[in-house]
Amino acid sequence: MGTTPEHDAGTSASERVGPAAGPLVEVRAISKHFGGVHALADVSVSFERGTVHGLVGENGAGKSTLAKAIGGVHQPNAGEILVDDVPVRFSSPRDALERGIALIAQEIALVPEATVEENIFLGVEPRRAGMVDRIALRRAYQELEERVGFGLPAGETVGRMRVADRQKVEIMRALARHARMILMDEPTAALTADETDRLLDVVRRLAAEGTTIVLVSHYLDEVLAVSETVTVMRDARVVRTGPAVAETAQTLVLAMVGREVDLTYPPKALAPEAPVVLEARGLCRGSAVRDVSFQVRAGEIVGLAGLVGAGRTETARLLFGADRLDKGQILLDGEPLHVHRPFDAIRHGIAMVPESRKDEGLLLLRSIRENITLATLSEHSRAGFVLRGSEGRRARTLFDRLDVRGTGTEATVGSLSGGNQQKVLFARWLAQTPRLLIVDEPTRGVDVAAKGEIHRLLVELAAGGLALIVISSEIEEVLGLAHRTLALREGRVVSEFGPNAEREHVLHACFGQVQELSA
Amino acid sequence: MTMRARARDLGIVFFFVAIFVVLSVSTNTFLRQDNLLNILDQSSELLVLTAAITVCIVAGIFDLSIASTATVAAIATAGGVNVAGWPGGIVAGLGAGAALGLFNGLAIGFSKVNSFIGTLATSFAFKGFAIVISGGSVVAINDPGDRETLANLFTGRFLGAKGVVFFALAFVLVVGVILARSVFGRHVYAVGGNAEAARLSGVRVMKVQTLCYVLSGLAAGLAGIFYVGRYGSGASNSFSDTYAFQAIAAAVVGGTSIFGGAGAVWRAVVGVLILALIGNGFNLLGIDPTYQLAAQGVLIFAAVAGDQYLRGR
Repeated sequence: MGTTPEHDAGTSASERVGPAAGPLVEVRAISKHFGGVHALADVSVSFERGTVHGLVGENGAGKSTLAKAIGGVHQPNAGEILVDDVPVRFSSPRDALERGIALIAQEIALVPEATVEENIFLGVEPRRAGMVDRIALRRAYQELEERVGFGLPAGETVGRMRVADRQKVEIMRALARHARMILMDEPTAALTADETDRLLDVVRRLAAEGTTIVLVSHYLDEVLAVSETVTVMRDARVVRTGPAVAETAQTLVLAMVGREVDLTYPPKALAPEAPVVLEARGLCRGSAVRDVSFQVRAGEIVGLAGLVGAGRTETARLLFGADRLDKGQILLDGEPLHVHRPFDAIRHGIAMVPESRKDEGLLLLRSIRENITLATLSEHSRAGFVLRGSEGRRARTLFDRLDVRGTGTEATVGSLSGGNQQKVLFARWLAQTPRLLIVDEPTRGVDVAAKGEIHRLLVELAAGGLALIVISSEIEEVLGLAHRTLALREGRVVSEFGPNAEREHVLHACFGQVQELSA
Repeated sequence: MTMRARARDLGIVFFFVAIFVVLSVSTNTFLRQDNLLNILDQSSELLVLTAAITVCIVAGIFDLSIASTATVAAIATAGGVNVAGWPGGIVAGLGAGAALGLFNGLAIGFSKVNSFIGTLATSFAFKGFAIVISGGSVVAINDPGDRETLANLFTGRFLGAKGVVFFALAFVLVVGVILARSVFGRHVYAVGGNAEAARLSGVRVMKVQTLCYVLSGLAAGLAGIFYVGRYGSGASNSFSDTYAFQAIAAAVVGGTSIFGGAGAVWRAVVGVLILALIGNGFNLLGIDPTYQLAAQGVLIFAAVAGDQYLRGR
């Protein structure tokens, strides 16, 4: 990793010497409001050349908005942005790109039907006589590939690739446009631990080559591992900017939330000798799930660990009826259960908080109330018509019980922060007291405080006798919560761990032999 | 409610009121009772169809086959009257509409064909079916008594307005209440807003969408019955294909989102009336009807652009 000298982020204008010496991008006192909500208030930050600059804060603190303002997506209402000491006004991401600033947003923006190289050079294809010069395109791709060493197949269709690989395509796309600054908004949210490590290596290498990286992330350890400078934001303002070596996860959290937050997992109740609620016997689906068998007892939290594609989510979807079984049997309270669709599973008291709350969970345009009662609406109806009073009371009760921070149950769910959206999804399933609750990535994209609350909720639900299956790409989360952890690899359960399993052992099981050899 | 949502709600109502006021002051014929009732009378079929199409659009589907379905329903109504009297004709018209709607729902649900293309295909098929069952000629009601009864029911005046207006408003009211207040209506919004989320919450997506097709089939059936009430016969050219597009346009002008998951039946009413007022205004002001189509086109375009802007897409 490059040895960038420490610097004072508050370099004053008078100290600037020339375009090459000052910060690459300087943000001066910018503000941005959406309607009456302040997303950025008087924010000033300097981004030095060739450094990794971490940007942390709770959901809604304004860090994504800041990245988007620099990347040309949002136009600030006040203040100015300087690139090479020259004030700029970007009206679109395209403008920003012309000045060498590329934004990789949380929502990946690639053409799914096009190939890797087509996506990377989309709009800047080498041309000959108005046609795309495919040979020059391949050559340009290979030059870029040599630089980054991602090893992506040039001709693969992007829609068929994993999220981690698509992210690499986005990075290469930014580099193909000669980006000097790449803003990454939660780049590792959808990645497994090893993919994250590899991405962070890329980040270090790009910075060493002179690219400035702005890393917006919830994962404080990652930020601390790669950043030279860290800016902490809270309530639309910058709390402080300083060298990363002076910070720890605890100091960052304290600055982010403005108070002490318990980062430890709640204590587990002892693994119970309770009746088996759910038993999976030899579940199979294509090559994704191969002969998976396990039991979950009442009050027990069973964790599923593994890499993306190891069969964790796929197994959960079989139990919930979201996908069809090829072979195998599901028993609920010892009775064979046939689930053809989620409707059947829900009727038998099985609930699932899905992996992606935006794609699979929420109706973003509808109210919090409607989102909470969606799965249980028939309990609040007479002759097919909704009883608004009864529905509203249930929604408000759960809204309060889960401590959703919002203006009330009539606000649209899209107006909430990630953590509060996740709580609404939990509320949906707690509206009917399920027997088995499956949670897939329960805290992805959720801020630190809400994360702790969700963990406490899960433990509390288990203590109340609910059977729980927890799936997470964060091994710490699985181990912190689960009484028993099953490691999956290539669709099979490869080993089982008790409540006090070592992280390393679980990781080895998830990665299989390749990792064991190199470890 | 956010400012934008409020702008969405009220903008279109202000626009309607503005047109109304402009026509009231710029002509001395617009505000006459017979002119206003005439507008409602001429809009009856479109009101019924647009209300149902709105439910379909909110559910994330299109039904382009409504004109063909209404044509089949008109022929079935006239034929049904000849077989089993006027009540039999009404049952035949509604039954034919519902059956074709069910066919649309099942065919598209099982095949997973895109609804736009799927109902475009069935609109051709239903039109062909209409030609087959009518033998290519006009199916007229034979019994003058039955014809008289239907004419009285649908074109006879009560409080100055024709029967079709009352039937249309009653249908629109019922559909509006179902969409806004029923469990089915809530599921319609869920399916159109995020089909996968709805499915994973236990909503049976195909069932909901099939019921939407049945609803638009019923609306087409009612429109077919109106036609027979007005003219005493049905034929394979009773409804022009543009009806489906007019209904979609009216729904969108009223502010129902083309992307699904958002909209309301009252918007269908406002949308139909705005387009009708513009047509009426051009007639009263004696402007070349060529410009009328152009103005409506611009308006539809602006409505969709406004929706996308307000959604921040």
